[in-house]
Amino acid sequence: MIAINIDWNAFLLVFIAAIGFTTLIVGCFSIGVRLLTNAQNLSPKARKGNQTAQTAESLNLVGAYLLFAVCICALAYGIYLIIPFLPH
Amino acid sequence: MDPILIVGLVVAIALFFDFTNGFHDTANAMATPIATGALKPKLAVGIAAVMNLIGAFLSTTVAKTISVDMINPGVNITAQLVFAGLTGAILWNLTTWFLGLPSSSSHALFGGLIGSTMAYFGAAGVNFTKMIEKVFIPALFAPLVAGLVAFTATKVAYWVTARSQAERKAKDISTGRNKFKVGQIFSSSLVALSHGTNDAQKTMGVITLVLVAGGFQATGDHVELWVVVSAAVAIALGTYAGGWRIIKTLGTGLSEIRPPQGFAAEVSTGVTILASSKFGFALSTTQVASGSVIGVGLGRKGGVVRWNKAGQIFLGWVFTLPAAGLVGAMSAYLTMQGDWGLIIDGVLTAAVALAIFTISRRNKINATNLNSEVENASEVVLSARQIKAAAKKKKKADAKASKKSKKKGKK
Repeated sequence: MIAINIDWNAFLLVFIAAIGFTTLIVGCFSIGVRLLTNAQNLSPKARKGNQTAQTAESLNLVGAYLLFAVCICALAYGIYLIIPFLPH
Repeated sequence: MDPILIVGLVVAIALFFDFTNGFHDTANAMATPIATGALKPKLAVGIAAVMNLIGAFLSTTVAKTISVDMINPGVNITAQLVFAGLTGAILWNLTTWFLGLPSSSSHALFGGLIGSTMAYFGAAGVNFTKMIEKVFIPALFAPLVAGLVAFTATKVAYWVTARSQAERKAKDISTGRNKFKVGQIFSSSLVALSHGTNDAQKTMGVITLVLVAGGFQATGDHVELWVVVSAAVAIALGTYAGGWRIIKTLGTGLSEIRPPQGFAAEVSTGVTILASSKFGFALSTTQVASGSVIGVGLGRKGGVVRWNKAGQIFLGWVFTLPAAGLVGAMSAYLTMQGDWGLIIDGVLTAAVALAIFTISRRNKINATNLNSEVENASEVVLSARQIKAAAKKKKKADAKASKKSKKKGKK
């Protein structure tokens, strides 16, 4: 008799981790893209010396770079997971 | 025959398998960045090759033995058995490449080895339960999981970066979605790196297995340096050769991919693969990558998935194990006939491989004509505006060309 043994716990873990981390990374990158685009759209006004536009531009830029930094951290964690001789 | 000669032949054919593995799987990482234009085709396969090379060197500490737990313990794995199994895996890899179907190289390897084991030892040598657990069930789940993950990611990416028509018109701004191309460079490289750590070690494992069986290596607890170097180089060369037919299928054949989708697909593939190896539920990279592409195709409003192509790919997965197994078994019967059988088997494999390469040259797909193919393929799903723009561009180019020829005429 064939007894098929599937590790449903592992499967569920894989699914949850995959959808969670992917949404987090893609979400962060997407918001970063949006903020960066905001900043670019504001920059003509900001260059003309509009004070509010200047503040908004830099706020958007800081946010964008912070979110891209999160993505780079995720990338570093991915590399860490790939390299087998690092302690896990 | 001298045992060292037989082992030499097995090493050679194992490295050839490694090569086909590389060029079969370039598409997993690089089909989507090539399709969206994030990376030029040659640059993309170059990056993938370097990543696979690095990955192969990183992975050696775990490549102690190959996990062929589908073959029952107690089966005496000989060089001849491995040789026959490898021919099955190679020929199936080449066939699916010729058809442009992404299929798992690992499953082809398992199939070949299982077929040849069955020929040598009968069905008792094979653990069918493990086969269902490790091959068939994951093949159903991999595309489902990756597809769902990629679908969600695409929805998120488009929702976050959406700008209403009114907003775009009033402020004359773009959505900035082309910026996802930068992200794609990193996400696709990570997929290539993880491929290198996973797949090169399978070849290292097979070679080590044969070296131990032949008495050239005392124990299988380490991998000789020359094995590591040659396996790493073979998979990197294979990756650089680029399986353009499969790149075309994954990049444009299944769906039309735009930068946010490409990024979403690669992140889904990378994260799903890493999660599956972290939590011990092994999934095939190829199947995950294919599932991701389908998921992102469904995730974009107006996205198209060509289900007949998806069906063909799935059919290819179903046949991978039995087909590679059948060839492996037939090869095994040849190798049983003694040394001349092994040589005939080798020559036959080389001849069939050469024939497939020769036929493939008739409708060649490579780095230079891939992009025009990409443009042709996407024309079907271009919007009216895009078609107009393309026509305009062409008109301009034609005008330029005619001007040039006129100038030449004057001279």
